[in-house]
Amino acid sequence: VTKLTRKKPSKYWDIPPPGFEHITPLQYKAMQAAGQIPTNPIA
Amino acid sequence: CSRLHNKPTFSQTIVLQNLYVNPQNSAKSADGSHLANVSDEEMQEHFDNFFEDVFVECETKFGEIEEMNVCDNLGDHLVGNVYVKFRREEDADKAVQELNNRWFGGQPVHAELSPVTDFREACCR
Repeated sequence: VTKLTRKKPSKYWDIPPPGFEHITPLQYKAMQAAGQIPTNPIA
Repeated sequence: CSRLHNKPTFSQTIVLQNLYVNPQNSAKSADGSHLANVSDEEMQEHFDNFFEDVFVECETKFGEIEEMNVCDNLGDHLVGNVYVKFRREEDADKAVQELNNRWFGGQPVHAELSPVTDFREACCR
């Protein structure tokens, strides 16, 4: 069995939105649900 | 589609909503960066990197993956959805718990269990 390993650090995982590095993703989603910050700007 | 999907309590499959951002689809950027032509080769490479990144992370952290699919449908509730089917339900459950408190590419991950077990039969009506 070959062990899966990373070739390089991820470009995606654990990259927070700029300015929100100090809160957790759960807090961020709670703020979105409360209308304090906009939801996904892409969709 | 009523969008009123049933959410199972136990499942081998998880869905990560809107995780994949297709560079050719997101043609709405205000700064004009979408005007840069994305070639099919670059698209494929971008997708391959994305797929590997998600797959490796899930398999090393949570457990063996049987199947993984990325949705390219443009419907706003489907676009970029990633479906990961684990071999064990416990792994899927753990993945949902942990992934919901992770960032991915500048967005929080939205993970939940999905009733889909056979991707060829899956159809959103």
